[in-house]
Amino acid sequence: MTPVDAQLLADLQLWYAREARLLDERRYDLWLEMVDVGVRYQVPTRYLTAQGNVGDFGAWTVDRELTQAADVFLIDDDYEGVRTRIERLQSGMAWAEMPPSITRRIVGNVEPGEVLENGGIEVFSALMAFKSRGPRERSFLTAQRRDLLGRSDGDFRLRRRTVIIDDTVLMGENLSIIL
Amino acid sequence: MNACVDLIERSVAPDASWIRPDIFADQALYRLEQERIFGRCWLLLGHESQLPEAGSFFRTHMGEEPILVTRTLEGEVRAFLNLCRHRGAQLCHEDRGVAKSFNCRYHGWAYACDGKLLAAPGEKQLYYGELDKEEWGLVRVARVESYKGLVFGNFDPDAEPLADYLGNMAWYLDILLDRRAGGTELLGVQRWRIPANWKVVAENHVGDEYHVGFTHGSQLPRPIRSRAAPIPMAREIRPELGHGIGVDVIPEDVSPGERGGFDEEVNEYLRSIAGEMKERLGEMRPRLFPIHGLVFPTLGMIPILNSIRVIHPIGPGEVELWSYCMVDRDAPQQVKDILVQRSIAAFGPAGAFEQDDSANWTGVTRNTVGQQARKHRLNLSMGLGHEGEVAGLPGEVGLTASDINQRGFYLRWVREMTGGPA
Repeated sequence: MTPVDAQLLADLQLWYAREARLLDERRYDLWLEMVDVGVRYQVPTRYLTAQGNVGDFGAWTVDRELTQAADVFLIDDDYEGVRTRIERLQSGMAWAEMPPSITRRIVGNVEPGEVLENGGIEVFSALMAFKSRGPRERSFLTAQRRDLLGRSDGDFRLRRRTVIIDDTVLMGENLSIIL
Repeated sequence: MNACVDLIERSVAPDASWIRPDIFADQALYRLEQERIFGRCWLLLGHESQLPEAGSFFRTHMGEEPILVTRTLEGEVRAFLNLCRHRGAQLCHEDRGVAKSFNCRYHGWAYACDGKLLAAPGEKQLYYGELDKEEWGLVRVARVESYKGLVFGNFDPDAEPLADYLGNMAWYLDILLDRRAGGTELLGVQRWRIPANWKVVAENHVGDEYHVGFTHGSQLPRPIRSRAAPIPMAREIRPELGHGIGVDVIPEDVSPGERGGFDEEVNEYLRSIAGEMKERLGEMRPRLFPIHGLVFPTLGMIPILNSIRVIHPIGPGEVELWSYCMVDRDAPQQVKDILVQRSIAAFGPAGAFEQDDSANWTGVTRNTVGQQARKHRLNLSMGLGHEGEVAGLPGEVGLTASDINQRGFYLRWVREMTGGPA
């Protein structure tokens, strides 16, 4: 087992806590500053599928359940897509978020993965996202985030995010918030 | 039954220029819909491209019934209730895949891809060889027919042929399905739950050009994505039989690519297939751009953004929407990728358009449940008496934005629900 870089872990946890707070406080302008202009932000669809070789846990991969080659994502945004998603909220006519949803994102299980040669780092984390638009419109989901963070100006920037929702059918009317 | 007929007659005007929201909320009507609409109409199961090989299968629903669709070893497409004939257990638990046979996990009865009962454990010793396997095959959906790649099912053995059911709508569907020799394919499926009555969702697909300017206001001042252009206004067309479609008639001096605001790669592709389209569809249809539509009751489409969808009802107050991207099978991969990305940026649960649609559908459903709200009529009178015809276009045409298609949808709904001829 590789020794944990305690400072790196603390830095990452702080970065994720800040990201979650900015999104919950709807400071999308500040959140966007945490996102790299080369970002790819994807939310795959997910299916119940048989595992290849049941005797081999190595073959029980989550990836088999996700968007495949001839398939669609729920979200597949580049930076322009992410920015447009946020600008849409500022149009005053994005009714699904008017008034804005009350949200809480809790990010845990932060686990640094591979450190890439260019200084980027893979990070796995778990997300719980709650959304309320009053007592009759509440939804809750959990997901894994697989992120690639780059570094610039001494801080992390989100370069790639894959959000793997823990459901095959999305509950809760729509996906109007950033995960 | 008679109470239902009374309620239906009280709730939909004879010309469908108004309806009462009882038809969204009433439990008895909903149960009757399962029998009379979802038990008798042709419903979309999927697309032949989802069953690429012998043994390919996927699960879906017809109304509330769980359905297993397979390709047999002989290459035929079949659909079954997804339950074991022995004790009613759910037979297939996977969303899609390839299988040689389907084995029930309860007691092990095994079925072939064509639905035949292959074996039951203990056939000889426990059933004394007396189990009639011919009799205990899977329950087949009585009728399965394809229309140019789209596969439909119907529980009613006496249903009219699919082509008759589609009627004039097929002439418009061909613009999507038959413009190329290689046909189309469906990619993936986005699935999500919306607490809305299925008819609220359906009427928004069949017509309702009117809502675009307001509901989708967030998209009008600026394109969905930097490379997409605003959606042009459609003419509402009621081909017949409760189906409806909105088409943009592209002026002679504008190319379809420019009109749709596509990327250059897509424009180039559209130019490259213009000759083939003209050959297959004639002079007029290549100049028609379908924007939205519905095949009664629940096959919705947003062709301009490559989305087709099925509105699966789950009780009167909820639907599960299944949205697929449909593209020309022989289009270059790059073109498919652009169209898919454009599609899901606009439609689906996170789409810039559909997020706001779903908020409206939910609001209508929730706020018309109350006894007081149900007493009051809701308006569908736009363009009533101003329907017309356009030379060469089959069906009646709303000369501008009009509720013509929603009225057609509800009139068909009444005919089905009260048992009269379609």
